[in-house]
Amino acid sequence: MFLLDVALTGKRQVGRDMFVISMDAPEIAASVRAGQFVNVGWSRGPLLRRPFSVYRTDGERIEIVLKAVGEGTAELLAMNPGDRLSCLGPLGHGFGISSGPKTVVLISGGLGVAPMPLAAREAHSLGMRVSWVHGARSASDLCSESAGDEVVWATDDGSKGFGGTAVAAAPDADLVLACGPNRMLAAVADRWPGALVAVETYMGCGTGVCLGCAVPLKRGGYDRACSEGPVYRASDVDWPSLPSHLPYAVTA
Amino acid sequence: MSVAVGGVSLRGPVLAASGTFGYGTEIPLLERRALGGMVSKGIFLRPRKGTAPPRIAETPSGMLNAIGLQGPGVEALIRDYAPKWAEWDFPVFVNINGETAAEYGELAARLDGVPGVSGLEINISCPNVEQGGLYFGNDPRAAAAVTEAVRRRTRLPVWVKLTPMVSDIGVIARAVEAAGADALCAINTFVGMSMDLNTYRPRLSFRTGGLSGPAIRPLAVHLAHQAARAVRIPVIGIGGIVRAEDALEFLVAGCTAVQVGTATFVNPCAIAEVHDGIGAFLRAKGLASISDLPRYLPRD
Repeated sequence: MFLLDVALTGKRQVGRDMFVISMDAPEIAASVRAGQFVNVGWSRGPLLRRPFSVYRTDGERIEIVLKAVGEGTAELLAMNPGDRLSCLGPLGHGFGISSGPKTVVLISGGLGVAPMPLAAREAHSLGMRVSWVHGARSASDLCSESAGDEVVWATDDGSKGFGGTAVAAAPDADLVLACGPNRMLAAVADRWPGALVAVETYMGCGTGVCLGCAVPLKRGGYDRACSEGPVYRASDVDWPSLPSHLPYAVTA
Repeated sequence: MSVAVGGVSLRGPVLAASGTFGYGTEIPLLERRALGGMVSKGIFLRPRKGTAPPRIAETPSGMLNAIGLQGPGVEALIRDYAPKWAEWDFPVFVNINGETAAEYGELAARLDGVPGVSGLEINISCPNVEQGGLYFGNDPRAAAAVTEAVRRRTRLPVWVKLTPMVSDIGVIARAVEAAGADALCAINTFVGMSMDLNTYRPRLSFRTGGLSGPAIRPLAVHLAHQAARAVRIPVIGIGGIVRAEDALEFLVAGCTAVQVGTATFVNPCAIAEVHDGIGAFLRAKGLASISDLPRYLPRD
């Protein structure tokens, strides 16, 4: 875990209201694994940091993907290259992709694209064939960037690719990884109980002390998305008890 | 920078507040040299599952939390954490909670003499099931009864963490001082509420939560000052401290030490920065030690 004062290095649009921000964070870029996240703060920003899955790494840079859904993310998107951010990470346990499976399917809904480029890279490096299913409400809500040997688009309104959910459009594979709204992850759990999913939660500290990011478990009790998570075996989570609406863009 | 507070000597005036620091083992970036001491996450006799999510909600310059005192229970705390604390070079206080005065007393007896436990901080902001759920901390008799129940069962230093949700904090402060408290911690979170305009329901599943952070700081400075004026025992100031200047406000207002809480969520190095900033302030003002800091504490 590193606490870095970093410079924002770039910003690009990848969908309607969806942007990628990059920052210089060499220690994090060198150690982050797919599914891990960073907790980002800035002076004059809101009190609490905002958690974001690491989207990609490029040399000493890391990227995050976000939408302007609240005041905090709007402030972040109004920043320019050279502006300073405080970046804490890498945090949490990622997908822990290791050799064995021959095929992997990545299923993302909306901002759930966040951990997938790193997951695709790790899976490729282990020789897996990678399929990525992007889902969103309509074509303009889809992320324009993708990776993998096969890319499938799914839209609720049928405006691009498969007309229906990403879960319904997804092929089977030896390994299933998913990230998106918790309702979507509950559907993943029904079809593939052994899938590994990155959950969305409210989050305070990101370091395990505030207990704010409670994830209800089927076996009873809660654990912490920031520490034991954010990646869970899909069938371990008590989905009906996990709230699904967030005031800010989190797919950590 | 050392201070003496209610039965213990601290190497510095800045402590980690209960519930913001876990059991001291979670934050790897922390610079422990700066820690005057630590208060553990609140503990009950038995394990507690905690409340359903959402448990936190950000508010202007603050946050609401309703964690529900999730924890492993006192036996697991003694088994898993106290042995680690015994090796540390700063004191660890255990924040104790109960539903009856007798439960607080049992916790005090169980923790008395456990290596690694340097003292107890009584959280009196719990509902008293024997009085229909009225909070111990709102009633001077109930607050004193809990303090006495703990005092009788332990030789450890006993601190009492006061709730701000009272009409006169001085009355409660004097009651627990008379019941044997060695120091007061002022204050705990304010009870607050925030509504979700998409669901038309409270943003927290528990409906209400404790408000902390810079939003409460002036309220906290006032209440800590009122408590300090009411008693002779030391007062530890708590509420929205982020920077050294914030801590110094509490010290000037009559406090002997401070606890930093919510700031640690945002900045894992907050305690070290506050500690170092107090030292820099004293040097800049030509004050040789923290006891030379002028206090505004009129006795009327």
